[in-house]
Amino acid sequence: MSAPEPVHPLAGVARGRHGAAGDAPLRVSFPARDIVQVMVRRGQDAALAAAMRTAFGIDAPGPGHTASGSGVTAIWIQPGQWLLTAPRTTEGALAVRAAEAFSTCAAVADQSHGRTTIAVSGASAREALSRGCRIDLHPRAFGPGRAASTPIAQIGCLVHQTDAAPSFELTVFSTLAEPFLHWLLEAGAPFGVEIA
Amino acid sequence: MSQRFRLPSGGHVDRSKRLSFTFDGRAYDGHHGDTLAAALLANGVRLVGRSFKYHRPRGIFSAGAEEPNALVELRDGARREPNTRATVAELFDGLAATSQNHRGSLAFDWMAVNGLLAPWLGAGFYYKTFMWPASFWERVYEPMIRKAAGLGRASGLPDPDHYEAAHAHCDVLVVGAGAAGLAAARAAGATGARVILAEQDFLLGGDLLNEPGLEVWRQESIAALEAMPEVTLLPRTTVFGFYDQGVLGAVERVADHLPQPPAHTARQRYWTIRAKEVVLATGAHERIIAFPGNDRPGVMLAGAARTYARRYGVRAGETAALFATQDAAYDAAFALAEAGTRIAAIIDPRGDSAAMQRAREAGFTVKPGCVVTGTVGGNALRGVEIGAVGSGGRGDAVPADVLMVSGGWNPAVHLASMSGSALSWDEALLAFVPGAASQHERSAGACRGVNGIGAAAADGAAAGQAAAVAAGFAAAPAITLPEAPAPDHRPYELWEVKGRGKAFVDIQDDVTANDIRLAHREGYSHIEHAKRYTTHAMGTDQGKVGGLVGAAVLAEAREEPVAKVGLPRFRPYTSPVAWGAIAGGEVGQHFQPVRRTALHGVHEALGAVWMDAGIWKRPAYYPKAGDADAWASVKREARAVRERVGVCDVSTLGKIVVEGPDAATFLDRVYANTFSTLQVGRARYGLMLREDGIVFDDGTTTRLGHDRFFVTTTTAQAGPVMQHLEFHLASAWPDLDVSLASVTDQWAAMSIAGPKAREVVAAVVTGLDVSNEAFPFMAVADCLATGVPARLFRISFSGELAYEIAMPAGYAAQVWRAVLAAGAPHGIEPYGVEALGLLRIEKGHVAGSELNGQTTAQDLGLGRMLKKKGDFIGRVLAQRPGMTDPSRPRLVGLRSVDPARQIRAGCHLIVDGRSQGWISSATQSVVDPGWIGLGLLRDGETHIGSVIVAANPLMGEEVPVKVVSPHGYDAENLRVRA
Amino acid sequence: MLRIPCPHCGARDEVEFIYRGDATVTRPGPDGDVGAFHDYLYLRRNPRGWQVEWWQHNGGCRTFLKVLRHTVTHEVRAVATATETLEVPGA
Repeated sequence: MSAPEPVHPLAGVARGRHGAAGDAPLRVSFPARDIVQVMVRRGQDAALAAAMRTAFGIDAPGPGHTASGSGVTAIWIQPGQWLLTAPRTTEGALAVRAAEAFSTCAAVADQSHGRTTIAVSGASAREALSRGCRIDLHPRAFGPGRAASTPIAQIGCLVHQTDAAPSFELTVFSTLAEPFLHWLLEAGAPFGVEIA
Repeated sequence: MSQRFRLPSGGHVDRSKRLSFTFDGRAYDGHHGDTLAAALLANGVRLVGRSFKYHRPRGIFSAGAEEPNALVELRDGARREPNTRATVAELFDGLAATSQNHRGSLAFDWMAVNGLLAPWLGAGFYYKTFMWPASFWERVYEPMIRKAAGLGRASGLPDPDHYEAAHAHCDVLVVGAGAAGLAAARAAGATGARVILAEQDFLLGGDLLNEPGLEVWRQESIAALEAMPEVTLLPRTTVFGFYDQGVLGAVERVADHLPQPPAHTARQRYWTIRAKEVVLATGAHERIIAFPGNDRPGVMLAGAARTYARRYGVRAGETAALFATQDAAYDAAFALAEAGTRIAAIIDPRGDSAAMQRAREAGFTVKPGCVVTGTVGGNALRGVEIGAVGSGGRGDAVPADVLMVSGGWNPAVHLASMSGSALSWDEALLAFVPGAASQHERSAGACRGVNGIGAAAADGAAAGQAAAVAAGFAAAPAITLPEAPAPDHRPYELWEVKGRGKAFVDIQDDVTANDIRLAHREGYSHIEHAKRYTTHAMGTDQGKVGGLVGAAVLAEAREEPVAKVGLPRFRPYTSPVAWGAIAGGEVGQHFQPVRRTALHGVHEALGAVWMDAGIWKRPAYYPKAGDADAWASVKREARAVRERVGVCDVSTLGKIVVEGPDAATFLDRVYANTFSTLQVGRARYGLMLREDGIVFDDGTTTRLGHDRFFVTTTTAQAGPVMQHLEFHLASAWPDLDVSLASVTDQWAAMSIAGPKAREVVAAVVTGLDVSNEAFPFMAVADCLATGVPARLFRISFSGELAYEIAMPAGYAAQVWRAVLAAGAPHGIEPYGVEALGLLRIEKGHVAGSELNGQTTAQDLGLGRMLKKKGDFIGRVLAQRPGMTDPSRPRLVGLRSVDPARQIRAGCHLIVDGRSQGWISSATQSVVDPGWIGLGLLRDGETHIGSVIVAANPLMGEEVPVKVVSPHGYDAENLRVRA
Repeated sequence: MLRIPCPHCGARDEVEFIYRGDATVTRPGPDGDVGAFHDYLYLRRNPRGWQVEWWQHNGGCRTFLKVLRHTVTHEVRAVATATETLEVPGA
């Protein structure tokens, strides 16, 4: 039995145009994601790497990096810890898959409801993010496949660059997604923001 | 006649663009490219303000950020901004400026009588005079002083503009875009490095703007920089502070030059810049000479008069005199002469010099070996008194309406000093220059004493390239550099001309040379003490034009070299920065993020009154039509729980999954009680201590599997508990194999409490037998709620039969609705934090007011929870005598003897006339109507049954209260186990 | 404002970190007495100069780091993870 669709934390946000008019707005969307936190057990790094390769086709990425395979992306978040993310399917499916894959080598916690992802894309994305993001997102310092956790506007944020457009996925605690989005709308207002 | 001091051509103003503005209500014209000061001078306006203390007439003294005098209010209404330097305020059409700090008109200020009182208004005047009687300070003296002193007035209205923060990273930050800075940025940029060039002026060029012959190089440089993709130019940006590890702060005046910011544009932007290497090219500030009357309108820095002539095409006056101690200042006389001003005299303490000869050849009257001994005039300079060096007394007067002063040049070492570089004394310059760098910074050009534009540019180019190389880039081919003659800038040592009348060392703060000597006589001889005693260099200009002069006067009094006296420590901000910019975007709703549970919208629809719990919003209560007041709502909700059933959002509790082979061992060490013995599928109340033995946090922890626990924390301590666990895993027990995952946001949770709770839960939950036998108190199990995966806990905070249902947050609303529907036949009510508090106080459960960082487990009646065997945090230090002293305040219940008399949290508990404790929590009871509370009372148990007094001296209340057991309601816990 | 080079995340602003004090003290074992715990909790060298300190990269990788910082100049000379040892240079 599949569960009814959950309510997205940003379900109430007005879609459409925010801020200034202009030809090159920030494009913002709220992709539904399954998110699972994986925490390696002591001394099981090699086993975890093997399991990640077998189950997801991913070479476990190192600090600051991400790796993708078969629809799943692994994002390094802490020493020995990754977030696995994938487009949302049925409730808890990715967590179950991960729990099976890592049953002997890692702890797994479903965070699909606990984290909310906001996708931002556009030529002005870097400049808009620099209004609150303290880390360097310049192409020489960051880029597609890179990720970093850093507080933005007093809210812990996992910044993941997905392409060179540039596009970013910003993952925050779900209970703080709304104030985070309001900050983003303000930071993006000079360029205009289009929420899909 | 409009702009009668404006030259027909020349400079960097656009005469085709006429801008109208007002000053003190009178209309004037200026041009695009003007500062307010330039436009005022162009219109012959000399008197622009009154001084801070003596209300002396003051004019425009400089042409830049160092301005001590020309502080004005700009704009009106909510945008009125006081104490703005007219010398850096860009003119715009419609600008309204007003002078400040006078009563009556600017020209006739009643408060100028303070000048006559001057003998009694010297340094330390306030400290000495307003000491007695003490009661007069707040009521009489301070309001009077505040009224008389101070400068402009803030608008007092909310700022209609918005401000923003911005973060930047670069390989090379160049501060200042004069010749050295432009060259440094070009040299660094040519290597491919990421370069930021910040300039406080709205035009790049610095002194190049006064050199028509070098305009080609200036423009070529700007064009070259604009063509480099990795170079960012930030005009109108003041770098105000140099912090640790290459972090600098800057403020960009994005829209200060516009009547109001365009839509979606910030007024100002507050930059935090992280630079691998820094080139400081901040130039130099010309300094004042202390002589009697050196503050009269018409007296200005020589370089400023030159700038007004060359950059703005404005003659500072009809007849000018120059008082200079070095050749570099003489160009001001030539510039003014070219502009058509008559040069009345050049006064120079030196015997002869190259510049003096050139001046004589140009036909100027040169007075070698002479000094200015005084000034003549009222609100405007009419003449200059000249005497021989050391002659004393008043000299012969020469008519002049402008006196250009130059005592030498102080390299602008503020940022270098803040970076940690020790300053060193340059005997030739008679000024401090940066010493060895302690961070990745280097100074270039005039800010390290390099003389002349050509040399400064060469120095800047070398510094820019060296910085880029240090940041890891390969050197690029050399850039072309400007060539220009550089008259000698080494001054004759002259700090002060002694004579009768006020000789100011700090014009903004009205500090005279005599004030400095007074400070020395009274024991304030250290430069930092003298600064504070006299307020020397404490104004918005931070002593840029006179700071060193004050130090020199102090040095003479101390009979020590200036180098030994030194300058007061430089600190941010180098120039004033608006509070709005510092706050940035973190105002209003962005002051602090608001954290919302998944049920926020549900509560909103129910009309919840909100309460802040940290950054969370929680429903305090849900008012209903017919509730007489808030208490009626709260009691209605609490009664529903006691008599029927209620539902409460408890999603804000911290939730941590502790997992791993050593999870149970770890929890035994971090909790005062034992968890390794807990069965799978059961929950237990846990108490966490700090290492010092004080109670840290409490909550229920569930064993989900042999190696998997679900820990809950209080709302307030969720973050600190996580850090506490992480710290001890990292530092004390790195051998334990345990992982921690915060799942606070993953799970929403609601408590369903009351005699009818089981019926409601049974209707909502499937896949689980919730009977008392199958699912007893403290049982936990997974289940489905409205078809979604959920977890049911049989735990209670209210003292009633209660369950908590947790479910993935996205399903919380549908479960809540199902609970309300299932509870409707039973009369269910949603209840808020207030009712929750009422219920737990009745039951005698402790919460944040009791876990206040001062109480031990024994104090709270929880001493039995401390396990006897095994190590745990707080175990040892909780056993110290002071922690186990039986006379410590202990948790008691309290009841107001008169049910109608309110008791309040915070009241003293008075026994035999002495305070023996306090009320920690208070509420109205619904079980036994009246005011009840919990408190901490010395020898609490011995007082049970007796009546004492709850005193609130602030409100004049003394309420008799009966001391009772804190566990008065269902002491046997029959209801929670029903 | 400090910038602390996190071995996992690179140089980050001080606001991302939480200071947790002297990293040279070690929690006494199960046999520690009041004196030992007193020293662990309260006794600090408070040096003018180099000090090894705990800083948690709370806003980033959450790791507890040992940071060798000069208490006068704020220079950060070395950063290590919890299991590594940092030598304190001579005064």
